[in-house]
Amino acid sequence: MRRYDRSEMVTALVLLTPFVAIYGLLFVYPLLKMVMLSFTKSPLIGEGDWVGFANYIKLFKDRLFSVAVWNTLYFVLLSVIPSTILGLLIALGVNRLKGWTQSAVLAAFFLPYILPVSVVYRIWGWMLDAQFGILQFPIEAIFGERVPVFRTLPLFMPAVAFITIWWLVGFNVLLYIAGLRNISAEIYEAAELDGATRLQTFRRITWPLVWPITVLVATIQLILQLKIFDQLYLFGQGGRTDSVLSLVWLVYRDAFQKNQGGYGATIAVVLFALIVGVSVLQYQALRARGEK
Amino acid sequence: MLKKLLGAAALGLVMVAGGAMAKETVVWWDFLGGGDGVRMKKLIEDFNASHADTIEIQATTLEWGVPFYTKAQTSAAVGEGPDVMTYHLSRLPLGVSTGTLAEITVDDLASVGLAPGDYAAANFGAAQVDGKIYAVPFDMHAVVLYYNKDLLAKAGLIGADGLPTGLDGIDNFTAALKKLQEGGTAQPLSIHDGAGDSMWRIFYSLFGQQDGAFLADGKFLDGDNLDKAVKATTVISDWVKNGFAPAQVDYPASIALFTSGQAAFHINGVWEVPTMTDLHAKGELFEWGAIPIPTFFDHPATWADSHAFAIPNNVGKEMTAEKKKAVLEVIAWMNKNSTFWATAGHLPAYNAARENDEFKAMQPNAAYAKLADTAVFDPSSVLAGVASPVYDAAGNFLMPAVNGEIEPQEAMEGMRDDLQGQVE
Repeated sequence: MRRYDRSEMVTALVLLTPFVAIYGLLFVYPLLKMVMLSFTKSPLIGEGDWVGFANYIKLFKDRLFSVAVWNTLYFVLLSVIPSTILGLLIALGVNRLKGWTQSAVLAAFFLPYILPVSVVYRIWGWMLDAQFGILQFPIEAIFGERVPVFRTLPLFMPAVAFITIWWLVGFNVLLYIAGLRNISAEIYEAAELDGATRLQTFRRITWPLVWPITVLVATIQLILQLKIFDQLYLFGQGGRTDSVLSLVWLVYRDAFQKNQGGYGATIAVVLFALIVGVSVLQYQALRARGEK
Repeated sequence: MLKKLLGAAALGLVMVAGGAMAKETVVWWDFLGGGDGVRMKKLIEDFNASHADTIEIQATTLEWGVPFYTKAQTSAAVGEGPDVMTYHLSRLPLGVSTGTLAEITVDDLASVGLAPGDYAAANFGAAQVDGKIYAVPFDMHAVVLYYNKDLLAKAGLIGADGLPTGLDGIDNFTAALKKLQEGGTAQPLSIHDGAGDSMWRIFYSLFGQQDGAFLADGKFLDGDNLDKAVKATTVISDWVKNGFAPAQVDYPASIALFTSGQAAFHINGVWEVPTMTDLHAKGELFEWGAIPIPTFFDHPATWADSHAFAIPNNVGKEMTAEKKKAVLEVIAWMNKNSTFWATAGHLPAYNAARENDEFKAMQPNAAYAKLADTAVFDPSSVLAGVASPVYDAAGNFLMPAVNGEIEPQEAMEGMRDDLQGQVE
């Protein structure tokens, strides 16, 4: 084993210390405090009495908690895989274009991504408005009546997931395009000479070679969507929120609206564990398949 | 050289100190946007101009709702809150329970010429928690019935005094809606029934008309209050069920239904008065007016809330006597000059500002000003008020009942149990 000399050690220390210090101060320390907070009956600000596991017991009896867990996972299911697949499909299409058309089409797909969530909410809120929404014309033509999409419980999650995909898919497309451009043209030429069909080329060359990108995209999406809050909150506010809330929304409601910091922290701890667990699992599972 | 520098520094200090002694700065936070924000900015400018040598308000406008109240709470806890801030009276109980607000005494008020008797009793009552005053009311904002005068006149619903007539009582109101329908207005009433908050305001008005107690002795909708709540809910849900009002309408759409002439009535807060006034001034709106919500039950009553002024309890940062005097002066001045604030649709809380000739000539405010006498305020609880669990429960139970998704009886029982379960 190679031994590091003194000057290398010093350099490493100098370079690492600021990061470790900031990481410790801004992430590790608050995380530990949050875990400790979850064992107390604290308000949002200030100390609270130690209550042991009482918050956790309350949590698992809390009907809203199970609704929030289910909604969060349901939303992940509705958004992560479709947005990953769609990202790849669009990237494959865009990649075939040349010159300025490619730039224009890529920009068109990426444009929604730069919008703030409030604007996305306004756009789709008006488009689907039950009284004045432009999309109500086709909806009325197909279903015979106007549908208040965000006030119809079974449609709520799918509709918000659809909008989320529309909003964020541009980023996945960019990542995939970068991945596709990394695949050498010579490989495709060789395949063509050997008489491979388009499908074979995709299955044997493109798909395995963009697999690391797929893992990356799916993991980013998974973590992002497990933390879903903004869109659900905006479209759901004022409505039957007990039926459509997510885990982060429940944290917000208990900690900030109801001033129950300890209980809010408990939900946050469980969400943290869930995100760490699910993303490590997914990353391992996907990577293992890729290496085979 | 050094001497010179020190001399300049000392001079600078003296100037700063001298300035501070002569002039108090009052740091002000509010959550007032839109038409409210524009008008408050004008009031603050006027105040600063008339107190050029004594007091200066330094105002910041922050995000309305839970973000504002969270920021007020966290900043006061570390002594970084403002000197004075706007506050909803309905949100006062939570603010007091978290120790965010400093008490204001009757003597404090008297020192700047204010007294509890300067306000409507229910209004001033909502400014107190456990008998102590924590805020000074600034306005009352309630829901009112906006009407399209042209359509009502066609249906014979405008009386000799030029105001709508024959709307009181469930049957009369229904008959009026039918007349309008027969006259070609397919859905004559527009309400924001896609959300719980607006439904709560109408519900609580109708509930108050039956003297209902939403929360009494720690119990939600206890005894026959449940029946009163069901009756109030049924009135609203019947409008939707019988096709007088479209279901699941979003907020902007509910206003557009009225301003486009598709609906003859619109129930909404007085804060939309500037919208109508501005449209009418541009020649883009029919003749319109606004009156108190009709009396459907025993006597008039309307839901109301208040924008008020509160002084944060800045921990570890005692307010000097001079600063407190300045803050109270700001509050008193705003109240005494609040007739102008009424142009935003609100009713001034300060009686004298509501009873002068300038206000009496102000339309449509003067037409609904009498609702101040019978206004009902949200129950005094940490669970009630704007953006509170009660509002959430209204979205979860009341709103679906109005839209016919669940029965009023089932909805009110669900609302009662949900809120009771949240009592600590």
